[in-house]
Amino acid sequence: MGKKKEKEKKPNSMQNNRSFYMTIILCMIIFMASIAYLIISFNRLISQHDEHLSSEICTLLTEKMNNSLRFMTDSAKDISEVLSAQDFKDLGDIYRKLSTDKRGDYVGIGFIDEEGVLYATTEERYEFRKWNLLSAATYDQDITISAPYRSTTIGQPVITLFTSFRYAGGRHGTMFITYRLSDLQDIVNTESLTDEIEIWLMDAESANMILCVGTARYAIGSWSNAYLSMQDINEEYKEAYDEWHKSMVKGIKSASLTYKIGKINYSQFCAAIDNMPGWYVVVRIPGNALSATMNTFRNYVLIFLALLLTVVILLIINMYARNRKENRKLEQLSIHDPLTGLLNRRAFDNAAQQLVNSGEPSVFIFFDIDYFKQVNDLFGHDSGDKILKTFSEILKSHFRGTDLISRYGGDEYVVLAKTDSVPAISRTLAAIRDEFHSVKSSDFSSTITDHTFTFSAGAAISPADSSEFEDLKKCADEALYKVKEFNRDGYLWYDEAVKPDYV
Amino acid sequence: MNLFKKSFIYIITFFCLPVLSLTSCSGSGSDSEKADVSSFEFEALSEIKEGRPDIYLILKLIDSSYWQVIIDGARDAAADLDCNLYMSGTSNETDWEGQLVILEQCMERGADAIILSPDDSVKLSPKIEEIYEQGLPMVFIDTAANTEQFDVCYMTDNLLAGQMAAREMLSELELMGISQNEEAYVGIVVGQAASLTINERLAGFYQYWTKNSPDKWHIISDIMNCNGDISTAAGMITKSLEEYPALHGLYGTNNGPSKEIARFVSDNGRTDIAVVGFDYSDEIKSIINSEDYHASTMLQRQYDMSFKGVQTAMKLLEGGKINTKFVDTGVVTVNRRTLGNPEVVSVIEHN
Repeated sequence: MGKKKEKEKKPNSMQNNRSFYMTIILCMIIFMASIAYLIISFNRLISQHDEHLSSEICTLLTEKMNNSLRFMTDSAKDISEVLSAQDFKDLGDIYRKLSTDKRGDYVGIGFIDEEGVLYATTEERYEFRKWNLLSAATYDQDITISAPYRSTTIGQPVITLFTSFRYAGGRHGTMFITYRLSDLQDIVNTESLTDEIEIWLMDAESANMILCVGTARYAIGSWSNAYLSMQDINEEYKEAYDEWHKSMVKGIKSASLTYKIGKINYSQFCAAIDNMPGWYVVVRIPGNALSATMNTFRNYVLIFLALLLTVVILLIINMYARNRKENRKLEQLSIHDPLTGLLNRRAFDNAAQQLVNSGEPSVFIFFDIDYFKQVNDLFGHDSGDKILKTFSEILKSHFRGTDLISRYGGDEYVVLAKTDSVPAISRTLAAIRDEFHSVKSSDFSSTITDHTFTFSAGAAISPADSSEFEDLKKCADEALYKVKEFNRDGYLWYDEAVKPDYV
Repeated sequence: MNLFKKSFIYIITFFCLPVLSLTSCSGSGSDSEKADVSSFEFEALSEIKEGRPDIYLILKLIDSSYWQVIIDGARDAAADLDCNLYMSGTSNETDWEGQLVILEQCMERGADAIILSPDDSVKLSPKIEEIYEQGLPMVFIDTAANTEQFDVCYMTDNLLAGQMAAREMLSELELMGISQNEEAYVGIVVGQAASLTINERLAGFYQYWTKNSPDKWHIISDIMNCNGDISTAAGMITKSLEEYPALHGLYGTNNGPSKEIARFVSDNGRTDIAVVGFDYSDEIKSIINSEDYHASTMLQRQYDMSFKGVQTAMKLLEGGKINTKFVDTGVVTVNRRTLGNPEVVSVIEHN
């Protein structure tokens, strides 16, 4: 019965497993959906926060950049005020003095007198002609800044500042100072976000932009064009970008913009440069720059949750497995006889009653090992138990897995075989008798070698003898009684036992 | 239990992956494709003699007509000087990693001076600074790097060249008879948006145009960017013409687009479109020579760049000093009106 019985049980066990998996999967779906919702909400919050904060940072950096330009222009103004206060008669003298005693970080310094005579190096004169720098000097302002150009002296982009001063008793002169564009980066540089921020100077009308602060140190001074940059922007933001640029062309003081390139959000802000007509400071920050730390934190939380989930699932699985094991043990104990592993009386009665009452043909057989009390006394209780086990194995080997076999109590066994074939059961009983006879007593005792083990059995058939379980049992018991009453070591069918002529 | 364990792993994997993907870890792609960095050949451009200083010329491209002129200039300069001149270069103008290897090889071979046209002005700068700090004369030709750690650079000031191109475009449109009161559009075709040279030519063009063009003459803001694939130029020009029937000018920022523009104008017989470009391809030469078209091109003096580059390297090796770090070798404007100009003839001879 063992293996076949297990096979019968498997579908039930699989169902239990499937149900367990389904519960786990359902829990995980709920868990994952919650996590997904949490992440999406978190990302959305970060994105909103970034957008707001990026805009603030852009504004601050634009102000900082404008301040650094002001720092340059203030330096130029200070020098021009000192020059005005000293009231030099000859510009040539002061030019020679200044050009040989450079104390500032500037690339070049020089003057243009009231007659337009330029006091400058050969290279600077060449640059003034090449870029028509004097046109920048003629603006009617305190100070003006030229468009960036590549310096002949240092080979890198520079800007030149012009400021007026007085000499020789009230004559008007113009002083110029040339600074490296990269100096602006040094002034504006921030400890954090250095690798994320881009700051450009942009000529609104031409849309030309030159990089002042950037993600790559060596990219400073690179030209670009807003029309070309606009091509990278996602289609739905192009109109807004165009509007943003047009507002600069119209002369707006400042304007902000957000857009996406691929999946990255950017915040961009521009502010007009006071002393550089038509030019703006443009600051750009990718949205994810600010959230990098928060994203790291979010990832830690996710890893923690994943680990937690794994531990919880492992615990559930472990508990489930232990529970199943214990249940199986209890199940075994509740329906099986602990000595022989056969069904116990209660389990047998339940199953057999259902079968008999269902009307299915069956044969009920009562077995009783003959003189088992003496056997126990003779061989001892341990050997008695072994003999019981041996008899159980013999029964199991002769009946089918679907038949019910039980140790009914002490040395009593019952079998309910799902058949109505009397000859087949008679052959089985004869075979069991032969096999039990052949069991050697020497296997259980070294001193008793000639004992022959026998049993008596009574059989009744359902529904012929009875279709009620209790009655059927009585019939089989009656037949057994007859066998025991006479010779034992045999079997008898109920219908034979009740014949009046049976002796 | 095995089945159980497997199922558990599958469940965890199946559910965790999509959720973790929401963390949107943005992949950071590599900066560029890995170059074939095995080793590069060096060709002697001068007679090699013991005891003379070794000057190394490193080019962006070694197999194009433009760069051949540079080689000629360097060879001619070396012939009159007491130096050994070696040349090497990459076969792709963006292979900065290849040039990094060449620079290393030059150092290993004991170079006394280096003349370089950097493939990438930004990415090669750290290496250039490292070499320069070891005391080697460093001369740039054609392209500068974004560092002050070099001796001198001979190149076209592309910002100014762009301005000259815009001036030329305005004058070609006037010559075509486009009235200042007439609506006219100019389209720009660029080869590669990431190139510093192209960006400077573009910036210069815009600078001049915005200050000097009539109010009714406009640049089409949708710049035609070939992104390295010049074959797309004709399609983009056709589309622009459909959108802007008053398109009367096309500006090519470098050789490839200029060539494609000239071919398009010629193939379609568009005598109503003025062409301004760079370099001297057969296509642009052909429309310049034709009386039917209005075309100009900006020719660089690349022969001068390398000739002066070798001379300067030698001067520096001999202890000489250079006051100027950036020398604009300039461009000449070539069109039907300037073809007979001796300076133009001389530059064309070297192209």
